[in-house]
Amino acid sequence: MQQGDGTEAQVTWEDQQNINRFGRLNNRLHELQDEIKLAKETNENLDDAGNELILSDEDVVRFQIGEVFAHMPRDDVETRLEQMKEDAAKKLERLEEEKESILAQMAELKKILYGKFKDAINLEED
Amino acid sequence: MAAAVAASASTPQGVAERRGIPAAAFVEDVEAYLRQAGLDVNSALAFLQERLQQYKIVEMKLLAQQRDLQAKIPDIEKCLDIVATLQAKKDLGEALIADFELSEGIYSRAKIEDTDSVCLWLGANVMLEYSCDEANALLKKNLENAKASLEVLVADLQFLRDQQTITQVTIARVFNWDVHQRRSKQAIKET
Repeated sequence: MQQGDGTEAQVTWEDQQNINRFGRLNNRLHELQDEIKLAKETNENLDDAGNELILSDEDVVRFQIGEVFAHMPRDDVETRLEQMKEDAAKKLERLEEEKESILAQMAELKKILYGKFKDAINLEED
Repeated sequence: MAAAVAASASTPQGVAERRGIPAAAFVEDVEAYLRQAGLDVNSALAFLQERLQQYKIVEMKLLAQQRDLQAKIPDIEKCLDIVATLQAKKDLGEALIADFELSEGIYSRAKIEDTDSVCLWLGANVMLEYSCDEANALLKKNLENAKASLEVLVADLQFLRDQQTITQVTIARVFNWDVHQRRSKQAIKET
């Protein structure tokens, strides 16, 4: 087989696996970005709820569980809200950490793949 | 002619298919692949494109299932929350007063006293009465099943996307190889 300019790098199974891994990470990154947006909204809502609670001086608060609003004493509601805020903050932190990790892994893979394939491959967001 | 013997060596590339989704064969060497399949470039490209379309169709289906499961899980968690609240109130000996939606924008108040049982909606217009403990057990089991199904589904989707990527890369390589061949033949003709 005559080689033309012969500088085309061959794709090995290892390369393919790297490309696959990059694709998986990219997908997960997009999912994470959506999840992080939702988590941030939840956090804000909980903060707003907390503020409203402080401002109101009712003893019985209607707290939403599922589809109904249960009448609960104010202290219970405060406790619940604190717990929810803590859970939400932890969840957001976890998501951000995962996102950082994924970005780092993707940067690594980009180095490897661009190193081997240079112009023949495009790993950027369109 | 470069020896293309190495091309047919089998590489451990994992499973041949997963839950009905055929794996995309990884092509070590394009020329050997075309020769073994007995296909010319255009037929090979057409075959690969069709495979890609089939993968896309399955992906749509799996994504829809994933969305359903992701909606179901918070629902079950809310039910568990309510049952837990009812049980807590029962232990305190108090009635639970709740406002619920009667119709769009219209709410009514209910007083729920001393509950030993709850009714769970099972779907298909069927509602069954359970004791609080049984309800807890059932809901927890449903939650676990839903989460497990979701995990399997996510793994399926990852496998599927890998096969799509492999197919896309193969299409690009076959196409490039063809371009390369034409250029070589052109170069030979001109000498």
